[in-house]
Amino acid sequence: MTVFHFFNCAILTFGPHAVYYSATPLSEYDTLGTSVKAALVYLGTALVKLVCLATFLNVSENDSFDPYQELLKALIGFIDVAGIYFALTQLTYRNISQNHKFQAVGLGWAFADSVLHRLAPLWVGARGLEFTWDYILQGLEANANLVLSISLAALGSLMWLRKNKPKTLIPIIYVCALIVATMPSITSYLRRGMGWHFPKVVGFELFTSLVMAFISWQLFSACQRPSV
Amino acid sequence: MKKEIKNLTCERGPYSTKVGRSSEVYAGGGHLSSTARRAAKAASRFNFHVLIIHFILIKIPFHSHPFSSHIFKRHFLPQSEAPDLASMAPRKPREPQVFDSFYPVLALVFILVACVELCDAATVVDVYRLIQYDISGVPFGSRAATLNHHASSLHFPTGADLSRTVLIIPLCELNMTFLQECISQKKRLGGLLVLLPRILGSESLKNDDIKCPNGEGVIKGLSVELERLLVHSTIPYPVYFASEGEDIDAVLADVKNNDATGQLATATTGGYKLVVSAAEPRKLVSSTITNIQGWLPGLKSDGDASQLPTIAIVASYDTFGAAPDLSVGSDSNGSGIVALLEIARLFSLLYSNPKTRGRYNLLFGLTSGGPYNYNGTHKWLQSFDHRLRERIDYAICLNSIGSWDDKLWLHVSKPPENAYIKQIFEDFSNVAEDLGFKVDLKHKKINISNPRVAWEHEQFSRLRVTAATLSELSAAPELLERTGGLGDNRLFLDESKIAKSIKLVAESLARHIYRYEGKNIQVFADDSSLAINPTFIRSWLDLLSRTPRVAPFLSKDDPFITALKKELEVHTHDVSLQHEVFEGIFTFYGSTAAKLHVYQVASVTFDLLLLLVLGSYLVLLFCFLVITTRGLDDLISLFRRPPSRKVKTA
Repeated sequence: MTVFHFFNCAILTFGPHAVYYSATPLSEYDTLGTSVKAALVYLGTALVKLVCLATFLNVSENDSFDPYQELLKALIGFIDVAGIYFALTQLTYRNISQNHKFQAVGLGWAFADSVLHRLAPLWVGARGLEFTWDYILQGLEANANLVLSISLAALGSLMWLRKNKPKTLIPIIYVCALIVATMPSITSYLRRGMGWHFPKVVGFELFTSLVMAFISWQLFSACQRPSV
Repeated sequence: MKKEIKNLTCERGPYSTKVGRSSEVYAGGGHLSSTARRAAKAASRFNFHVLIIHFILIKIPFHSHPFSSHIFKRHFLPQSEAPDLASMAPRKPREPQVFDSFYPVLALVFILVACVELCDAATVVDVYRLIQYDISGVPFGSRAATLNHHASSLHFPTGADLSRTVLIIPLCELNMTFLQECISQKKRLGGLLVLLPRILGSESLKNDDIKCPNGEGVIKGLSVELERLLVHSTIPYPVYFASEGEDIDAVLADVKNNDATGQLATATTGGYKLVVSAAEPRKLVSSTITNIQGWLPGLKSDGDASQLPTIAIVASYDTFGAAPDLSVGSDSNGSGIVALLEIARLFSLLYSNPKTRGRYNLLFGLTSGGPYNYNGTHKWLQSFDHRLRERIDYAICLNSIGSWDDKLWLHVSKPPENAYIKQIFEDFSNVAEDLGFKVDLKHKKINISNPRVAWEHEQFSRLRVTAATLSELSAAPELLERTGGLGDNRLFLDESKIAKSIKLVAESLARHIYRYEGKNIQVFADDSSLAINPTFIRSWLDLLSRTPRVAPFLSKDDPFITALKKELEVHTHDVSLQHEVFEGIFTFYGSTAAKLHVYQVASVTFDLLLLLVLGSYLVLLFCFLVITTRGLDDLISLFRRPPSRKVKTA
C-alpha cells in the first residue's frame, strides 16, 4: 500500500520532467547533455548556497518570520540566478539553438532541484504507514518549480543571450526575472509570515508559476518577432 | 576481597535499571511523548534542510583541510609507518583531535537515524496492557500484546465483523453489558483500547477537566466494574488502556464520524490504523517480594529490650490492578503505608527521649504480596523466631483507611469476647469517640481449609498472634478486589480522613503503651510538637499515587522499595529488607506498557484513483506540450504511425 503511495508521489514529482523532455523537441535534438550539465551546475550552486546559508544565517528554533534573516536568505537565493547565468552563458554546449538551450537548462535545473530536495523526504516519509497530503502537495510544488525554472531560464536567456530585443520590453523582462528569482522568498514569507497552510501556498505557487510562464512565453515570442 | 568485588558489581549492575525505572515511575504514565513527536514531525521538513547544511559544514573542512587529512592518514593507516617508540610519543597528544573531528560525523549519523525514526507516525500514545496472568495454569487477562488493526468506535455498524478492528472506548461511554456479552460469547475482536479519563491517569488535574457527564463517582464505579470484569476473564485479544489526551481524542472523533457513515474502517476504505509492536509476552521468572521491617525498641530498666512485649503495626504496600503500570492504589493500600510511616515518625519522637520511651517494642512491617492472600505477610511471620512471635502482644494491620464516611471497622478473627480483642476494641472505640466518629468491631471466623486469606490479620491469627485489621471496608473483599487498581486514585482520597485514622491508631497505641486507658489525654494534640504532620502525609500520598507497585513487577531494589526503607530508617532502628521468592499459584507475564502508534492510512482505492488521476495528468501534459511545441499534426502522427518517429530521428 505504502510503496504504492510512494510510487504515486514519485510519478507526480519526477514524471513531468520526463514528459517535458520527451514531448518537446528537446528529445529530438538530444539535449540530455545540456540538462545534465545544468544539473551539475545546480549541484555546485546548491553547495555554495548552503555554505552561505550556514555561515550567515542562524537557525531559528521556532518557525517565526524574521525579516532581516529572510532578506539575507533572499539575497543568498540570488546565487541561483548566478548559477543559471553560468549555465546559460559560460558553459559551452554542442550546437544548440537558444530556443532549446534555455529549456534544457531549466529542465536540468528543476530536475536536480527535485532530486535534491524532495527525493529523500519522499523516500523516508511516503513509504510510512501514515497518510498525509504533504507528499502529493510536494509533488505539485515540484511541478510549479519546473515551470518557474524554465521561465527563469527563458528570461535569463532573453537578458543575456539575445542582443536585439525591443527596448520597451527590457524593464519588463528584468522585473519578471526579479519576481521569479524571489519566488522562494515570497512563498517562505507566505508560509511563515502570513501563516498560510501548505495547500494554500502550493496553490499560490502553481498559479503564479503558470502566470509567470505565460508572461515569459509572451515576452519570448515578442522578442523573437523582430528577428524573424 | 573477592566478595567485595562481587558486591561492587552487584551494586553497579542494578543501578542502570534503577535509573531507567525511576524515570519511568516518577514521570508518571500519560502521553508525554506524543506532543513532542508531533512537534518533531512538523520540524522534520525543516530539519532536512538544516541537516544538509550541517553536513556540508562538517564535510568540507574535513576533506579539504590538508592538516586534518594528514592526521587521518597517520592514524588510520598505521601500517605505512614504522610504529617505533619515538614517533609514538609526539603522536599521543594529537589523538583527541582526530576523535574531535569524528564526533560531528557521528552526531550527524545519530541525528539522521533519529530523524528517520521520528517521521514514523502521526501520534504516539503510551498505552498500558491489561494484566496477563495464570492462576495455577488457568489463563486470565489479555493473552496477546501485538496490535495492528483499523480503529473503530462503539458506534460501529450493527452486525459488522469486528475480528480485524480495534474498538476504542472511552470509559465514560462504556457499555458494560455489551462488553460482558463480547467476553462471555467469546466474540472475536481485533483488540480493545479503553480510554481512561485524565483524572485516572497519573497526571492529577483539576475537577473541571472531567468530561464525563456524571462526575467522578461514576468514573470510579465504572472503572471498578470494568476492572472486575476484565481481570477475571480470559481475553484472547490485546486490551490496552490509555489516558485521554488531545491527540487520541481527535482520532476518536474522526473514527466516530467515519463510523456514522455506516461503514467499518478496513484496508479498502482507509481510516486510522492502530499499531503496537510488542514481543510475545513472556512469563516473569524469579520475581521476588520484599518485606520491610523496622523496630522501635522500648525501655527496659535492666538489660535486654528484646524481653519486652511487642506491638506490631503492619500494612501491605503492593497493589494489583487491570493495568499493572496504572495500579497506584492511593487508598488500598497507599493510605495504610502513609499511616504506618506517620505513626513510626510520631513514636520515634516519643521513643527518642528515655523519659517518654514506652515499655513496649514497636515493630513496623511493610509487607508485600497483599493481593495474593497476604503471601508476603505469611512469609514474614514464618521467618520470625517463635519466641519473638509469642512476645507480640497484638498486631494492628492498616488497610484502606483513606476514604471512609463516618465509621471505621475493626476486623478480627477471634471472638469479640476474647479479652485481648475486647481491650483493643475498647481502646479504639474510646479514642474514636473522643475524635468524633465510630469504630465497629466485625468478627469473621477463619476457615483453615480455605486458602483464601481476606484480611492481613488472618495471617497473624493463623499463627495464634492476636491481630486486628483497621479498615473502611465493612466486609472482606474477594480475591484480587480492592487491591488498588484503576479506580483507586488520589482524587478519591481524603487527607483529613487519613489524618483522623492515624490519630486514632496512634492515640490508642499511646494509651495502651503509657497506660492511659480510660483517661481523656491527647498525646498527639493538634498544636503540640507531636501533632500529625499534614505535609508529610500529603507528600507521601503524592508519591504513592504516582508509583505503580504490583509486586511481581517490582525488582528487589526498586527505587520505591529503597525510598520506603530509607523513610523507615529515619524513624526506626534495625531496618531490614526480607526478599522472598514470589511463588504460589500465580504466574505473571511481562509487556505491561507499550507505545501505540496511530497512523492515518489511505485506502487502496484512493491510491488507485490517485494513480489514475496522475496518469491522465501526465498524458494530458504530454499532449499539451506536443501540441504547443510541435503542433497537433505531430501528435496525431505520433499515434498513427509509431515507426515514423524513429525514421525521423534517425
